[in-house]
Amino acid sequence: MNTKKLLLLFLCVGLLFNSCSDDDDNNNNEPLGDYDNGILVSHEGNFGMGNASVSYVSYDLSTVENNIFNNVNSTLLGDTAQSIAFNGNFAYIVLNVSNKIEVVNRYTFESVATINTGLNNPRYIAFANGKGYVTNWGDGFVTTDDYIAIFDVASNTINAQTIAVEEGPEEIVASGNSVYVAHQGGFNQNNVISVIDANNDVVSTTITVGDVPNSLVLEGNNLWVLSGGKPAWTGDETAGKLSKINISNNSVTSIDFATTEHPNYLAFENGKLYYYMSGSVYEMDDSSLTLPTTANITGVNFYGMTVNNSVLYGVDAVDFVSNGSLFAYDLNTNALINSTTVNIIPGDVYFN
Amino acid sequence: MRLLLLVYILLGCVYGYAQKPLDSIQRLDEVVLSDVKLKRFANGYKLIVLNDSVLKKNTTSLTDVLRFNSSIYFKENGYGMVSSPSFRGTNASQTGVIWNGININSILNGQVDFNIISSVNYDNVTIRNSGGSVQYGSGAIGGTVHLSNELDFSEHTDHTLRVGYGSFNTFNTNYNFSFGKEKWSGNFGVAYVDSENDYEFIGLDRRNENGQFNNLDINLNLGYTLSDKDVLKLYHQNFRSDRNLSATIVAPSNSRYESEDYRTMIDWVHAEKSYKSVLKAAHLSEQFKYFENKDLDIFSKGQATTWYLKHNYERKLTNSITTTVLTDYTTITAEGNSFDNPKRDAFSTTVIFSHQPNNKLAYNLNLRKDFISDFESPFVFSGDLSYELTKNYTVKLNASKNFRVPTFNDLYWTPGGNLDLNPEESYQIDLGHSFTTKLVEFDINTFYIETSDLIQWRPDSSLGYWLPINIASTKHYGLEADLRFKKEFNNHKLLLVGSYSYTETEDVERQEPLIYVPIHKANLSASYNYKSFSAIYQHLFNGEVNIIGNTLKEFQVANIGLSYNFKSNSKLDYTVDLNINNIYNTYYENVALRPMPNRNLNMRLTLNF
Repeated sequence: MNTKKLLLLFLCVGLLFNSCSDDDDNNNNEPLGDYDNGILVSHEGNFGMGNASVSYVSYDLSTVENNIFNNVNSTLLGDTAQSIAFNGNFAYIVLNVSNKIEVVNRYTFESVATINTGLNNPRYIAFANGKGYVTNWGDGFVTTDDYIAIFDVASNTINAQTIAVEEGPEEIVASGNSVYVAHQGGFNQNNVISVIDANNDVVSTTITVGDVPNSLVLEGNNLWVLSGGKPAWTGDETAGKLSKINISNNSVTSIDFATTEHPNYLAFENGKLYYYMSGSVYEMDDSSLTLPTTANITGVNFYGMTVNNSVLYGVDAVDFVSNGSLFAYDLNTNALINSTTVNIIPGDVYFN
Repeated sequence: MRLLLLVYILLGCVYGYAQKPLDSIQRLDEVVLSDVKLKRFANGYKLIVLNDSVLKKNTTSLTDVLRFNSSIYFKENGYGMVSSPSFRGTNASQTGVIWNGININSILNGQVDFNIISSVNYDNVTIRNSGGSVQYGSGAIGGTVHLSNELDFSEHTDHTLRVGYGSFNTFNTNYNFSFGKEKWSGNFGVAYVDSENDYEFIGLDRRNENGQFNNLDINLNLGYTLSDKDVLKLYHQNFRSDRNLSATIVAPSNSRYESEDYRTMIDWVHAEKSYKSVLKAAHLSEQFKYFENKDLDIFSKGQATTWYLKHNYERKLTNSITTTVLTDYTTITAEGNSFDNPKRDAFSTTVIFSHQPNNKLAYNLNLRKDFISDFESPFVFSGDLSYELTKNYTVKLNASKNFRVPTFNDLYWTPGGNLDLNPEESYQIDLGHSFTTKLVEFDINTFYIETSDLIQWRPDSSLGYWLPINIASTKHYGLEADLRFKKEFNNHKLLLVGSYSYTETEDVERQEPLIYVPIHKANLSASYNYKSFSAIYQHLFNGEVNIIGNTLKEFQVANIGLSYNFKSNSKLDYTVDLNINNIYNTYYENVALRPMPNRNLNMRLTLNF
């Protein structure tokens, strides 16, 4: 027990030093708001119950403020916060069941605008060419009405024009004027990446990847796509797949998982890829041609995960009715640095 | 079996039995009532009977009647939407709903939505607090609500027509016809409600969106006296509902839910001096369609059909001892988008020993065992007694073990359906004191309930979907007080009916109170009648409840109603009713972010002829 405590203390001190040196790097940077210099955790909340939220957590996880949108703006955030996207000084919180996007100042969380037209089951946003591209499922049980909604970043107004896409557009990233959409498949399973040209807002090509592409990471000229594979309950279980798309020529190379392996939550930092699978976190070199066989971190239950400054942050939604937890692991030692309780159903972690 | 009944009907006609009135009160019960054991083997239970006049005061739904007239707490997803009852902190699937003696909880989700039960087509609704699995089967854990149609064989022909219109473009109408003639008795009822339901959200500058609903209830009940020992009865009901599912404050909605239930039962009563036999054969069908987008013809659906055969044999061993053996056989099939074609066969047998040693003491002992094709079901039992200590004071006690079998959704939903589930189990005890004077009836009950192996859906990250598991256990204890005060002087009649409940609960795993259980709930109804004029005031206090990660504020809401009865020289008489609901224009939410209606009016004309 004592040695554990000591270790924890040591790690905390280590982290303090780290943050000190960070501060030194950004000399004289006054915080731009109450929520600058920290972690934002988006919380889906319970579907249909209107308890979506965002929490602010200090980097060392020692302070937590839940419901920051509600606290600042004295109004409820909405139903089912699916994701947050950032552009300039603004954060865009996508509320899936509320069919809206709350636009706030990312540092103060003061409301700037609400986009609540032209959306139907919105999921994720990426920015290109002065525009926001929002993936929309349309009606969940309709496979032919999925689309990308486009809004003007300067005015936060939705364009009348939409881009019809294949079933189940989910995560979306942009590189210059190319926008990449992963078609996870909504309530079904899909296996393509749509490429949208932000100059004319049309789908220029689609690229086939593994089944159920659930996460995208863009790194230089490489777009990494992690596909979970079709789950067993579909009766047509398929393997997960890690694909690397060279976006200069859209060529794909990939590595297959075993049929019963269904990875998720791809993250990238310093030439290393991280993903989560069956309660464990794996790390692999981005130049590796094979998958890692041993896990770095085991015995976790993540509902979302990301990496920042050699620290891996994972959220656990527990039983979906209790408060969730945020964990921080040191990726140099794979040891738990700290953990804290956050709000109901934390989904993703972002850095401010 | 139906063939046999048909033969009996035919034989009855051929021989043309004399229609001698049935003399003994017990036998009269058998003829008039559909659920005799509710009255006879429940000495140790608190029963609250809502009769015709209460039921017909409110013509929209059973939720409205019960939340102002019982200690049942309702979670209503916005007015007219899905309404889940809760007895003593238990949940909707732990509440048994009994239609003319048989359990009609959904095969698919185990619940009954009290907004798709019309109050006007029943002659009485009885609320039986405490577990009742032994007599009423799976799900009768917190309490049971009994919907009963009665058959009156006395010579009569009555028609009632009601037409009502009110706020939010709410139109309701119903027609009832009842007759008794010689060997026949019958009643027919049809009730229709349609509402725009676009009430204002007080203080929010917006209205209830996508809340439109309508429903139609058709009832037909017939009785035929085959002989002075045999009566044949037919009960039939068809309920159709078409609702849009309303938006919340923070999320729009464009969805719609359609449901249809058919219930048909043939009931043959044979009564001898020393024994009685009641054979019930029933067909139940439930189906729903859910439209995510009401404008498209794309929906998911589910459907279940139940065939039910039940025999009740009651034998009088001595003047004070009666034994009853109940056996029933059920076969259920279902189909839908979310499962293949599951099937269940179930057989159960129940023995009831009933003893009344003297006119002060009565007790019943009950044992039941179910044999169900898809899993093992527990052996359950119950005992109850009543003892009259003084002329005005009776002590009642009941204790039981109850169960709830996994629903078809729990077992067969794809993905998630878990065939390894066990039934939920519950033990409980209830002690009641009943004081009665000429003016006042006062009941006070204390209860303790323990449930285990509760089925909850939990996410399984390795499987990648949610599945139900036997995980939770709960404890409940509390107190209920019910008061009834009646005073008449000259032509003035005053009636006060009130109830208060105190409920403490604990989720044992989480060591927290359960969500959506008010610790305090109270309701009062005061009615006054002078000659042809009557007035009623109803008040409900609903205490604060826990919700996930938060609490929902307490609220108080009240209604008034005025009524005047015009008599004519002919048989025709008519009544005009005016109701004002939520007279204080209170903002309240029954379920978080789903505001309930602001002050609203309803007018009604009733013709009896």
